[in-house]
Amino acid sequence: MRQIQHLLEEQIYIADAAIATALYLSMALGKPLLIEGPAGVGKTEIAKSLAKALKTKLIRLQCYEGLDATTALYEWNYPKQLLHLKLEETSPASEAEKEAAIFSEAFLLKRPLLQAITEHERAPVLLIDEIDRSDEEFEAFLLEVLSDFQVTIPEIGTITATHKPHVVLTSNRSRDLSDALRRRCLYHWIDYPSLDKELEIVRAKVPQIGEELSRRVTEVMQATRSMSLSKIPGVAETLDWANALVALGTTELNEEIMAETIGCFLKDETDIATFKAGNTDYAD
Amino acid sequence: MLELERLVGFCRELREHGLSVTPAEVVTAAAALQIIDNRDRGEVFLSLRNILTTSVDDFPVFESLFATFWSGKKLVQSEGRSKIRRSSPARATGGVAFFLENWPTSRSVDVPGASDTESGAEKDFSGFSNHELEEISRIARRIVRRLARKRSRRWRPVARGHRVNLRRSLRLSLKTGGELIDLAYKERRPKRTKLVVICDVSGSMDIYSRLLLQFVYGLQNSFAKVESFVFATSLSRITGELKNKTYQRALDRLSANVRGWSGGTRIGASLATFNAQWLRRIDKQTVVIILSDGWDTGEPEQLVHALEQLKQRSGRLIWLNPLLGSSTYQPVTRGMQAAMPFINVFAPANDLASLRALEPHLVL
Repeated sequence: MRQIQHLLEEQIYIADAAIATALYLSMALGKPLLIEGPAGVGKTEIAKSLAKALKTKLIRLQCYEGLDATTALYEWNYPKQLLHLKLEETSPASEAEKEAAIFSEAFLLKRPLLQAITEHERAPVLLIDEIDRSDEEFEAFLLEVLSDFQVTIPEIGTITATHKPHVVLTSNRSRDLSDALRRRCLYHWIDYPSLDKELEIVRAKVPQIGEELSRRVTEVMQATRSMSLSKIPGVAETLDWANALVALGTTELNEEIMAETIGCFLKDETDIATFKAGNTDYAD
Repeated sequence: MLELERLVGFCRELREHGLSVTPAEVVTAAAALQIIDNRDRGEVFLSLRNILTTSVDDFPVFESLFATFWSGKKLVQSEGRSKIRRSSPARATGGVAFFLENWPTSRSVDVPGASDTESGAEKDFSGFSNHELEEISRIARRIVRRLARKRSRRWRPVARGHRVNLRRSLRLSLKTGGELIDLAYKERRPKRTKLVVICDVSGSMDIYSRLLLQFVYGLQNSFAKVESFVFATSLSRITGELKNKTYQRALDRLSANVRGWSGGTRIGASLATFNAQWLRRIDKQTVVIILSDGWDTGEPEQLVHALEQLKQRSGRLIWLNPLLGSSTYQPVTRGMQAAMPFINVFAPANDLASLRALEPHLVL
């Protein structure tokens, strides 16, 4: 477990014991890990860092409304099949042979799920991002794939995973996931980081930022999150802002700099107004 | 060291407190204890929490029960069961809950038209918990999802779909010399059901408007084709005020922009204004919902005329009356009696169950 934490930290991911435990169990027990939390707290980053740490491929399936099995699993490369038939029109091969040829793996377009299952070298990390944005039917389909990691393609047969992928699912809780899916997975909740942890993250990810400035930035962000905003900024926004400040060569926060860079972490006009009303003294 | 027996007991205890722990999860938990350092409290806690909870809402219950479990004390079955309640979801502590805690409670209910002897009016909605408010939003979302999913019989071309659009595919094939290379697809067009919600916020409706506005807010924000209005003595369109904001901010803007809030009621005049300005936007694909108790200080003739027009243009006219929830209520007020012949659905809207029952009526 410490090893995982260490490995993640090498990838500049500030992991705490909770995340390390969750990942360890997920790998040791071979169960998918469901990570929930507000937007921008680094849910996706976990999977990316894990893949880097394990030196394996990251296969990402971004969910959206209307995502269906074909886009997630496989499709036949229909134009290629047609062209192949056209080329073979005069060849002496029998019809059955031709058919076998065009329904072979060469004509299969592998979508993320099939890719993850057929990965030969080593178990990849399969990231199913924002599962709450897909619809219920897709969730049910996903359950089926995740339970035995095999896919049946009528023309080819059943393909079983050679290496069971490490599955990470993320959700923003925009929709309640089904109980069946929740039970199949290990569960981990990430919240906005504490001041100290966020500070650590900022310093690790934006090393050019000065000690003093990084502290001020994190303090402002922590205070911002307690306001009543429509879009609460996540850690991603903190990092954007820190990067912007570094790029501008800022050494301390003042009113002018704030006004120029506030767009980095507040993306809504009314939110900016709220922020300004609550922060008349940010210039120190 | 942890024995299996205690683990099973712990799981049973979790179940009794409302967590759904399946036998499969117990097995997983047992397997996990084999591979971790099961003398380390932190490690055991995190591992079991990963396995045995399925949502952040479960965390408080889990934490409190884990403390007892770890200390090795015998878990007392009956005591504490009622004490530890599942807390409301974390997200509920954001906009909605914040607003409701700050809702001005001193608003007077003593206004024209409202009768104190009406029994339904005595029901107190201020007791609504965050959990129930969440539920209202959820009902609104579900209704809206059902509306949006409804498919019409007509087809439309789409970039990707399940059905091949033969006509288009053949036309496409012309540019490749009659060879079908690119396929075109089609799907059923979604039904264009629209919703118009007209909510009474006059004084007599005061105790319900909080609940109902939450409902309207929920509808407004999960469906593009909703227009919302409020009226007391005059009509205001609030679609823009409700859209894409936190509930708190939406209500701030409402109270700033809407005049005559909590005043008397002029349903007929308000609906006449609605018809004058918005009737042309209403067609047979539109469901019109009026939320009102029917207490009208104006002339019934005006109301009759307005409703007649509305009924003719709209696909369905629904009148939700919170007072209908009480068993003794009869729609005898002049306004309500005049309105009855034009209403397709006359239903209560005083509690969660009544809102839930609304779902089938909204689908045309």
